[in-house]
Amino acid sequence: MAEVILENICKTYGNNFHAIDQLNLSVEDGEFLILVGPSGCGKSTALRMIAGLEDVTSGSLRIGGVDVVDMPPKDRDIAMVFQSYALYPHMTVFENIAFSMRLAGKPKAERRKRVDEIAKTLQLTSLLDSKPANLSGGQRQRVAMGRAMVREPAAFLMDEPLSNLDAKLRVQMRAEITSLQKQLGVTTIYVTHDQTEAMTMGDRVAVLKGGVLQQVDTPKRLYESPVNAFVAGFIGSPSMNLFEATLTGDELTSGTFGVRLQDAAFVRRPGLRSYAGRKVVFGIRPEHLYDSSLESGRKYQTIPAKVTSIEELGSEHIVHLNIDAVRVDSGDPDAVEDYGLTSNAVAKFEPDSAVRSGSEIRLALDDSKLHFFDPETHLAI
Amino acid sequence: MTPQKRSHHRLKRAVAPYLYLSPSLIIISLLMLLPMVTVIGYSFQNSAVLRRDPSFAGLKHYQAIFADPVFWASLWHTLYFTCMSVVFHMTIGMIFALMLNSDRINPTLRNILRVLYILPWLFTAVIIAVIWRLLLEPNGVVNSILMQLGIIGSKVEWFSSPETALHAVTFANIWAGYPLFMVSLLAGLQGIPKDFYEAADIDGAKAYQKLIFITIPQLMPIIISISLLDFIWTMQVFPLIWITTGGGPIYSTEVLSTYTYKLAFSSYNLSQAAASAVIILLISLGLTLFYIRYQKAR
Repeated sequence: MAEVILENICKTYGNNFHAIDQLNLSVEDGEFLILVGPSGCGKSTALRMIAGLEDVTSGSLRIGGVDVVDMPPKDRDIAMVFQSYALYPHMTVFENIAFSMRLAGKPKAERRKRVDEIAKTLQLTSLLDSKPANLSGGQRQRVAMGRAMVREPAAFLMDEPLSNLDAKLRVQMRAEITSLQKQLGVTTIYVTHDQTEAMTMGDRVAVLKGGVLQQVDTPKRLYESPVNAFVAGFIGSPSMNLFEATLTGDELTSGTFGVRLQDAAFVRRPGLRSYAGRKVVFGIRPEHLYDSSLESGRKYQTIPAKVTSIEELGSEHIVHLNIDAVRVDSGDPDAVEDYGLTSNAVAKFEPDSAVRSGSEIRLALDDSKLHFFDPETHLAI
Repeated sequence: MTPQKRSHHRLKRAVAPYLYLSPSLIIISLLMLLPMVTVIGYSFQNSAVLRRDPSFAGLKHYQAIFADPVFWASLWHTLYFTCMSVVFHMTIGMIFALMLNSDRINPTLRNILRVLYILPWLFTAVIIAVIWRLLLEPNGVVNSILMQLGIIGSKVEWFSSPETALHAVTFANIWAGYPLFMVSLLAGLQGIPKDFYEAADIDGAKAYQKLIFITIPQLMPIIISISLLDFIWTMQVFPLIWITTGGGPIYSTEVLSTYTYKLAFSSYNLSQAAASAVIILLISLGLTLFYIRYQKAR
């Protein structure tokens, strides 16, 4: 077990493309860190550099206090779980798990003992003689985990290990991997593009965009205090609604509506005062928007909105709305999917909401949950 | 639909696939099955083809062949020629495929090598035979190079001495045939997921361990299929040997195909030639059945 420390790590490809720019990250001993970001943000590249499968252009990388930049993968004392699992189809489950021990020339009895232990932990005992082709997705995933565990490495590296599973199994394996990590207490770096995995699994989450680290924090702090509009939009599902408005006195105005801000909002963000009379980006999460005709929404101020469509999920309604404000793009390419062509806002209503598609409603918003960002830099105020 | 119409429709549906197959079935029967059956018939007749009313000969011709030491020599030469060819086709094909697949070699050089390595495949058997006859002539390039290097002391008559002739034709055939393996294995190599090698790198595999534990097992289906096919084809090679040595000197390169040809067109013993052809057919058939069973098992 060991801590993993990345200092000023850069990765530049031949065509001068900066895949990773000045990445500083320190993962504590036994910590479960999630690297998350949209496709092409450099998260897999970062992981592959830690594994030694990709050269580091500049910077220093230490695992357990040892500088590993110039070490081949096998000497770094890490194990990796691949997105495709990379199980050898011609080997049985036993042979797959025992492969690294066989390469190391460990005697057969020792291999048998160790693999049996792991198979027991992962509930693979009855499958040891099967070939990967005869296993289900979840079982293959567990074999891949077993192959990583067998070596008792200093750190686990996982590259989107759940993305090949169906939705239901993914939820199950999410919990399994989390509890396994707690049980083993091995430092783990886990790459995903799925913000739900990021929020539910990790001790801390590092959000990357365009090869630049945006924020590293606990899931709760990422959700509550994103450092910029990108993190705000990326974390949470559906994404945070971001709009442009003008701060006039203590009122946010946009088009035909205004939202009065309480003093507490200015106390918490002293910088906000300086935006008086200027444009500002404000954000509100879908779960902090309410149907004003329901009890839960009565206590908040309201703004006019037009319902464009409703997704009834049983436990909640995802309501697509159009409000009189200019939407701000957080820079997350995946967030666009949350909005249709006609709507610019999303709200989560309770299932007994009676709003209908096409109707004009009053939308209640919890102004204590507003986020503010600079319109130029998109940094949190 | 009346019951009559319905049964008519069913009949049409049942017959249709056979109608579509019939042209190819007819052509194959006329061009392959019929001659094969005729040859099998000849092998049991006295003076087949030569006489109008050949008499039944029983197993006489087969007995004659099995008693002929030249037949046994031909069988042995065929086996040697075939086994050596297949083994070296595979080995050379594998080495070249690994080279062409390596990203440590400059891509431009790889493209040039790819063309060079595939060249032997572009020549017909006759051209290959002529090339090697010229190269291996006593006064040819090979002898002169080997003598300059001091490997041989005097000129070797590669195709005309009984000690070297069989090796020489085998060598020419190896040269002519490896590109099939190379191309097939290269395609197979490109289909092996990169993840396998990366996972092995992390697990600490050395280059030879990756070859043994990943590359070769992954290529096994291709290796077995192509080897079996190559075995079947090489067993029947005729023009290369006929043009280079004609089976000689003193039967030293006589293989089953040249042996059969000589029986038929030098000795005009068509019945015995037919019996010899049937023996080749049986050996090929056995290998083919083996190949089909292997393909089905996969």
